[in-house]
Amino acid sequence: MCFQISSKVNHRKVVTFEAMNTASIRIKDHNFIMYPSGVLFWEEKSMLLISDVHLGKVSHFRKFGAAVPQKAVQKNFDVMDEAIAYFKPEHLIFMGDLFHSALNQEWNLFEKWTKTIHANIILVVGNHDIISPVKYEDLKIQVVSEIQLEGFLLTHHPEKRDSFFNFCGHVHPSIKMVGLGRQSARLRCFYKSEHQLVLPAFGEFTGSYTLEPIEGCEVFALLGDSVLPVPIKEKKRKGRYSK
Amino acid sequence: MQHLPAIMNREQLYNIAETWFQQQDWKPFTFQKDTWKAFLQGKHGLLNAPTGSGKTYALWFPIVLNYIKGNPDYKIKHKKGLKAIWITPLRALSQEIRQSAERVTADLGTQMTVGVRTGDTTTKDRAKMKKQMPDLLITTPESLQLLLASKGYDKMFKDCSAIVVDEWHELLGTKRGVQMELALSRLKTVSKNLRIWGISATIGNLEQAREVLLGPDSEAMKNSVMIKAKLNKKITVKSIIPKKMETFPWRGHLGLHLLEYVVPIINNSRTTLLFTNTRSQCEIWFQKILEKHPEYAGEIAMHHGSINKETRVWVEQAIRDERLKAVVCTSSLDLGVDFAPVETVVQIGGPKGVARFLQRAGRSGHRPGIESVIYFLPTHAIELIEASALQKAVLENTVEDRLPYLNSFDVLLQYLTTLAVSDGFYPNEIFPEIKQTFCYQAISEDQWQWLLNFLVLGSQSLQTYDEYKKVEVEEDGKFKVNNRGIAMRHRFQIGTIVGDANLAVKYQSGGYIGSIEEFFISKLNRGDVFTFAGRNLEFIRIKEMQVHVKNSKKKTNKVPSWAGGRMTLSAQMSELLRDELYSANQDIDGQSKEIKSLRNLFERQRRESIVPNTNEFLIETFKTRDGCHHIFYPFEGRFVHEAMGSLLGYRISLLSPITFSLAFNDYGFELLSDQEIDIQQVLDNNLFSTDYMSDDLYKSLNATEMARRKFRDIAVISGMVFTGYPNKGIKMKHLQSNSQLLFDVFRDYEPENLLFQQAFRETFEHQLEEGRLRLALERIATQEIVWRPCEKPTPFSFPLITDRMSREKLSSEKLADRIKKMAAILMRK
Repeated sequence: MCFQISSKVNHRKVVTFEAMNTASIRIKDHNFIMYPSGVLFWEEKSMLLISDVHLGKVSHFRKFGAAVPQKAVQKNFDVMDEAIAYFKPEHLIFMGDLFHSALNQEWNLFEKWTKTIHANIILVVGNHDIISPVKYEDLKIQVVSEIQLEGFLLTHHPEKRDSFFNFCGHVHPSIKMVGLGRQSARLRCFYKSEHQLVLPAFGEFTGSYTLEPIEGCEVFALLGDSVLPVPIKEKKRKGRYSK
Repeated sequence: MQHLPAIMNREQLYNIAETWFQQQDWKPFTFQKDTWKAFLQGKHGLLNAPTGSGKTYALWFPIVLNYIKGNPDYKIKHKKGLKAIWITPLRALSQEIRQSAERVTADLGTQMTVGVRTGDTTTKDRAKMKKQMPDLLITTPESLQLLLASKGYDKMFKDCSAIVVDEWHELLGTKRGVQMELALSRLKTVSKNLRIWGISATIGNLEQAREVLLGPDSEAMKNSVMIKAKLNKKITVKSIIPKKMETFPWRGHLGLHLLEYVVPIINNSRTTLLFTNTRSQCEIWFQKILEKHPEYAGEIAMHHGSINKETRVWVEQAIRDERLKAVVCTSSLDLGVDFAPVETVVQIGGPKGVARFLQRAGRSGHRPGIESVIYFLPTHAIELIEASALQKAVLENTVEDRLPYLNSFDVLLQYLTTLAVSDGFYPNEIFPEIKQTFCYQAISEDQWQWLLNFLVLGSQSLQTYDEYKKVEVEEDGKFKVNNRGIAMRHRFQIGTIVGDANLAVKYQSGGYIGSIEEFFISKLNRGDVFTFAGRNLEFIRIKEMQVHVKNSKKKTNKVPSWAGGRMTLSAQMSELLRDELYSANQDIDGQSKEIKSLRNLFERQRRESIVPNTNEFLIETFKTRDGCHHIFYPFEGRFVHEAMGSLLGYRISLLSPITFSLAFNDYGFELLSDQEIDIQQVLDNNLFSTDYMSDDLYKSLNATEMARRKFRDIAVISGMVFTGYPNKGIKMKHLQSNSQLLFDVFRDYEPENLLFQQAFRETFEHQLEEGRLRLALERIATQEIVWRPCEKPTPFSFPLITDRMSREKLSSEKLADRIKKMAAILMRK
């Protein structure tokens, strides 16, 4: 199954997101804005990309006897609302793993939430998405395996195909940073290599996987209230202390 | 008509025992006879006796005699059912204990049966046991909990007359000890005739150990005795001092420089045990000895907790049969097992505790009256100071306390779930029981209600859209788990009290080699070779909680690391250590030979800085490419340094935004930063003050990660994080989460949660020894503070600044400000 969005996208006036706390990047002459909560906005298409939300994870744990605070459930919706209010997208693309597991009561919350959303919602299926597409289609959400659009390929798993530039999720990337005085920090990030950009996991109660920076990559770390391009330096061979 | 044998009186019973001793050409010790008597009088108690003293006979005998007393026709008739439980903290010990039990039961002509049930017991044997329990059961604290999780456990334990908790000192001060307290609180009710006995090596707080075992103010405590085996065991400590001190390193933890010094020791003794502090150190030593001395092939072996059971048992038997010249081992051979051929013990690196050191020393000359010899092999120069202090400590028998836990809600939740899984429980019945334990003596009604709510609702009130499911309350008020999945997961979880997720290491063709922590494996790529269980193995893949490997001939320096427990020096030991150090400035004639051998090092130290005197408190500062180092030397032991480092770091961070990386050892602590601290300002502001100490210390916990790490165990024990089960290969991936994530979720949404708060309290009570910190600060207040800005690192500072592993972070800077000074490091691919 493959889905093509017609390019009837009306070219909105160029809005300048002058806020300091986002970062933007140009790929194939398109403009993409990275937002501190880990979502990506495709300006030309008015399309908001959100990956690995893992809704229902908290409820899933609770259902199996692990008492994760239930108050954490609402957070995902609040943070999505905030990003949507900021960009006002016409299309909302979930890049897979929207729901963590089988149907549970968080679906009801999701159902209510979708009614407040005006954008056209599409789900690119991920490995965790085992809920029947019929349920989504009832909510007027299209379920697709991937999206190809003007040389861009949107998938859940990272893919390498022809001359496409790939947007994907699945990895839950984070980056480890080091500084003087043996300081270090690990932060969720957008991770861009030559033909690919991996989105950070959006979900409140999801872990992350530390990626090593490789030659030619660009990394944008999430600091909570801002997105920061990460300087990457070469590793120096550390000499030992001498007596 | 058959003539019924008369019921024997106590004298007749003693005669049976004494006759048996005569037949072996032995004489019972006073402590053994005292224990028999007290037991047969129906008393509870704590027996303080070292391993190898005959302590097993001190308790197996009265247990069997008691059976004989109640069943005069014991030789012809067998009354089935569980009579006694023997708890051992290490499964490795169970075979040994079983043999001594079988010897007594058989020689006395009873038909009693003996069974072992541990994590190694097969499912088949377990099922068999469930049908018919052995008369005498040897098991571990975890396996006992599992019995409490099975239906009808009260009938199983009904006629149990005794429970013996062996090596109680090893359990005390751990959460397994709390597990034991809880199990005992239940058994006291279901087994009407139960005697509770503990066996403990010498520790600082023996009286408290008895109180924890029996319950303070309990009936059992009132009707109990303390019996001490006064065996004057001679222990000789010898330090291995390198001939060439100039080339001996200032840092390090392996001690391989002195490998050749061990060779004559091994050659001159029947069997030698080499104790290492970690499993990786054990692997490395084993490998290096064989590499340098291939002639030992077949004559040396290795023993640690991650090696498979068959190999461990083989090694243990080989030691007994005197087939081995040497065994490199870890704490896995600390306890119990009687190895007569062991003549010499070598301790590699600081043993982190006098009690442990004594216990290890006792592994040699493991017979009453024979001298124990232990060599101390330092891994770096400054450890020689410790070696010298240890000798004094052994002379003066200054052993540490084992601090028992209080209000461990995580263990209590696990226990309550256990009861709910088996027969269910009524809170009104259980609350008074747990109230009687040492751990929960101060639990309030409110806290109890909170825990019950947590079990049933997963929170404190009913919430909409909530599907929380664990324990249900039935109509008559019984708390019960009715969901089979929850019950099964809970049973898996019992016993995974600590530890990273463990993966089973197996050959691709099958064959279990041992278990390894996920942390290590996650860093390997296909084709990487690592050393494990003395073999070089090539990593193939991870599949269903199993690591598949094959043998490799490639050389490697990758050795798995296991997180080992860290011990700290006791107050007395720290004092001995300081005295040793101060002696470096005194007359050479009064110095120990270890201190004399460090002459060179002290000279180097004086060149850059000073060797402090009794009245001096030393602070050194210097810069390296790592940043600005600020080193403080209180010589108070690791835990006090952790507390003092956090306290001082926190107070300094209030002066201006700054970020520290902290390192600690038994001698001092380091505050490393990218900025220089103005030490004069620290002194002017009187930051070593005891004013508001508790308050500041508590706040510093928020700034560091200590509580976060404590939370890990709490989350696992209380059942909020499911770890899966390594050997069963059962995947629960969709239920696995990271305790770090959970910690953040609690911090953001439920900071009032008792389990979340417990993480802070535990850090405070168990890691930061507040009382000792106060005394240390008071001592420092009487000292003159000597601040030495240095050009380069001093010998004293070396072990600290090179510690890369166990660092703590503390920051008062904004995340963004910190991050802006950092970078990611490029990996070329």
